[in-house]
Amino acid sequence: MNTRSRLLAAAASILLIGMFVWPIWRIDLTAPQYPEGLGMEIRIGTIAGLTPYDLDRINNLNHYIGMKAIEPEAIPELAVMPWLVGGLIAMGLLVAALGRRPMLYAWTTAFATVAIAGVADFWRWSYDYGHNLDFENAIIKVPGMSYQPPLIGTKQLLNFTATSWPGVGGSLAFLAMALAITAVVLAWRTRTARPVVAAALTLAACGGGKPRPIAYDEATCASCHMGITDRRFGAELVTSKGKVLSFDSIECLATFYVRHRDVARSVWVTDYARPGTLVPADSAHYVRGGETQSPMGVGIVAYADSGLAARAVARGGERLGWSEVVTLVEQTGAPHAALHLIERGVGASR
Amino acid sequence: MTPRTRSLVIGTLSAIAAGGLLYACRSTGPKPGLVTGDVASKVYVAPGQHDEYYAFLSGGFNGQVGVYGLPSGRLLKFLPVFSQNPENGWGYTEETKPMLMTSHGFVPWDDSHHPELSQSNGTPDGRWLFINGNNTPRIARIDLTTFETDEIIEIPNAGGGHASPFTTPDGKYVVSATRFSVPTGPNRDVPISTYAQNFKGNLSFVAANEPGKMRIAFQILMPGYNYDLGHAGKGPSDGWFFFTSYNSEQAYEKLEQNASKADKDYIAAVNYRNAEACVTSGKAKQTPARYAHNHVDPTSRVARHTMETSVTTLDPRDCPNTVFYLPTPKSPHGVDVDPTGQYIVAGGKLATVIPVHSFDKLQAAITAKKFDKEIDGIPVLNYESIVAGEVQNPGLGPLHTEFDGKGNAYTSMFISSEVVKWKLGTWEVLDRIPVYYSVGHIMIPGGDSKAPFGKYLVAMNKITKDRYLPTGPELAQSAQLIDISGDKMKMLLDFPTIGEPHYAQALPATLIKDKQVKFHQLAKSTHPHVVKAELETGISRQGKTVHVKMAAIRSHFAPDNIEGVQVGDTVLFHVTNIEQDWDILHGFAILGAENAELILQPGETRTFKWVPKTAQVYPFYCTDFCSALHQEMSGYVRVSPAGSNVPLVANISKKAATQAARAGVTVAQPAAAGAGEAR
Repeated sequence: MNTRSRLLAAAASILLIGMFVWPIWRIDLTAPQYPEGLGMEIRIGTIAGLTPYDLDRINNLNHYIGMKAIEPEAIPELAVMPWLVGGLIAMGLLVAALGRRPMLYAWTTAFATVAIAGVADFWRWSYDYGHNLDFENAIIKVPGMSYQPPLIGTKQLLNFTATSWPGVGGSLAFLAMALAITAVVLAWRTRTARPVVAAALTLAACGGGKPRPIAYDEATCASCHMGITDRRFGAELVTSKGKVLSFDSIECLATFYVRHRDVARSVWVTDYARPGTLVPADSAHYVRGGETQSPMGVGIVAYADSGLAARAVARGGERLGWSEVVTLVEQTGAPHAALHLIERGVGASR
Repeated sequence: MTPRTRSLVIGTLSAIAAGGLLYACRSTGPKPGLVTGDVASKVYVAPGQHDEYYAFLSGGFNGQVGVYGLPSGRLLKFLPVFSQNPENGWGYTEETKPMLMTSHGFVPWDDSHHPELSQSNGTPDGRWLFINGNNTPRIARIDLTTFETDEIIEIPNAGGGHASPFTTPDGKYVVSATRFSVPTGPNRDVPISTYAQNFKGNLSFVAANEPGKMRIAFQILMPGYNYDLGHAGKGPSDGWFFFTSYNSEQAYEKLEQNASKADKDYIAAVNYRNAEACVTSGKAKQTPARYAHNHVDPTSRVARHTMETSVTTLDPRDCPNTVFYLPTPKSPHGVDVDPTGQYIVAGGKLATVIPVHSFDKLQAAITAKKFDKEIDGIPVLNYESIVAGEVQNPGLGPLHTEFDGKGNAYTSMFISSEVVKWKLGTWEVLDRIPVYYSVGHIMIPGGDSKAPFGKYLVAMNKITKDRYLPTGPELAQSAQLIDISGDKMKMLLDFPTIGEPHYAQALPATLIKDKQVKFHQLAKSTHPHVVKAELETGISRQGKTVHVKMAAIRSHFAPDNIEGVQVGDTVLFHVTNIEQDWDILHGFAILGAENAELILQPGETRTFKWVPKTAQVYPFYCTDFCSALHQEMSGYVRVSPAGSNVPLVANISKKAATQAARAGVTVAQPAAAGAGEAR
């Protein structure tokens, strides 16, 4: 397993120690007659008020609506939590030390399971407290009203505004989860999986490598600089920086791709059967040499549907995959030939 | 770093940044409202100018009344009613102690809740202010030319005189109803669990139109519910009175839960003209009862305590068509009748709507006998037949409603801490304003009368917390002044109040400010120990009681040297402030007295009882800064051991001494030179 993954696993484990120091989750309560606010924290192993008397105050207020008192001793999961988290920390540090990939996968899976189970359990307890009220003895009874605090976010409960949010310990745990997943991604053997997953993890506002509709009749091809007009052949390349480049044909896209492979985040071609629709280049089916003339004369069209491609081949033409298209263009430099023809014809150079 | 690593780092940092941003921007509830615009000028009363309104706020657990000016919110007077006031000797002087006498003895404190201005033709007339004592049920009448408590009547067969005092529009009656039912016929030793059999409530109609003659016209005996508040009908509903009740469950323990179970409780609607007729035609009973009636004589200003021995009680079963129960959600607190007299608004403190009964529908339902059932002979009307409408989703915890005379109603919401404005007839909510915090009663000047003066609304809150500079754990109550002259309510002022104001009344200052007494006319005083001039001062002994008739005038007491008092004597200082001038008061206090002080209004005589315990010399002095030589306004009393032969002397004038001798009162002239000069 690579060093990066081991360091990430170690960092994640160390961050988890934060769960023992800082609150994991926090529910703040404000009301018009509580300008000072009240609230409670879920800490590892217990539930406590934000100030020493807050939990008592909350329980006192809750007696009006028939909610049972929040007693940490009555919630068995709280006693188990420190052991679970402690175990995860120990295992994570072991993963970092030994560097064995299967152990990393197992640890991250365990981590994710504990996290999801923890959140689900929190929701379940909140539901129980909020719905299983003592209707017989409740003093304030609002028909149809329940008092489950939100899992995350804000909710109005009679005169109280309840805001539920992860505490510092909880946020560190989420960060640790993210680091653990990153460690897994980096340790995966398959090369192609990594850029795609890395891209998925990145939350940059660049739109995540999605293509944009080609501005036909306006844009010019980034390779040959001719106007893009034919909606059956437009293609796009999204760079790692998120820049979207348009091409008038598959061959121009391939030409550009050959020279700028390392900055290409994603490549897209038009489905010949659905003009104007872009599909991922590496999963499309190409037919070359058929009846169709493509803008740069190489005669390559793309089909998203394999069946349609097969029928086109039956009408005359050869079936290619994306990598073969790329190789073809690399070796023949076909569009360039076309370009030179134009230049010679016109007699002017660009 | 490679593009991949770089994207990883950027991604992680963005995730942290996004998380942090979302966390920081999370909503934590509404922020307190800010006051904008030029509100300061609306509440500023410039030096030398007067407020527009007198506001009378009950003192709550201090037993008194706080008088404030509006719109400034300034405290003008702390008016003693049911609690002793050491500041001016109320309840300490011989003249005022009788006011606090009850059938249980001398009660030095009470809990005053609801002030009510006297009305004529349905509007406040500025004659008197009535207020209740909740603990030892009583009603007091305060004269609004002297701002003093003049008369107090105790209510028998009662516990918790809460629904009190509320006036009929013609001013003939003020009512008192019981919050705590007690064993009736009379109250006696029974197990508490026999509540349902033995405990009864009652609604008392007290005739209060003639000073000195407050009397209980009749009491209507009621099922043992908690009668909370009341208001009279007016216009079409004139002749009717409405009282909320809660605890129709008839719980006697753990009321918090046991009195909150039923979905609806009742408003008792009383046709009191019918009740009067029943009393006149002999349907009522004279039952023995002991209760106090105390009254200050206007010319002597001496209070007299008398005990009444019977009260007229009426059973609704002997007087049909008089009392009806109107089902009302849920543990209702306030009942308020709108200025037109048509709508009866209830504040069901645990209800989620504000129910409004219609008087016309009530009449129709009674005629058509739309009764659900009967309780102790009292018909219970069908809710749907009498309800005019319900204000939906007004807020949480509706309590009290006041009116502005423009067709709008304002209801206080305790739990959601706001005042909600809504329209009568359409029941739509028009506006809401937060108040700080947890408002109980609200008051619009004239807001419970036929023609509200309007303009302002005062919210009296129960929780203060951070509104003012903190003063330890016990804080003043907070009140807000709100402008209701426009479409939307506007917060103007936040001012602290003393005691715990429950309810309030206000009237335009012009109605009473020119009728204020400036001093008492000495010539007209009939106080038994008054001195009308220094010549009349004197000292005399009757057995073990020494009477000192003293004058106070700028800047001396006459006499100011007294000798011959003995240990074991009771000394009564009858001090008269012989000034006849505006705002010239004198005080009187003596070293070590187990008493308060005297504060004497000009022309007033008050008696200070003193029992010295040790043979020594005691200084006394004027406690109210009256003049440039106020510091010199003092004297001494010499107390000798019991049985000594020190003659009883005081440095009164020669002329006064001669007059006293002629009158046969034994007074000796002071022997020493320099004393006893004629002044």
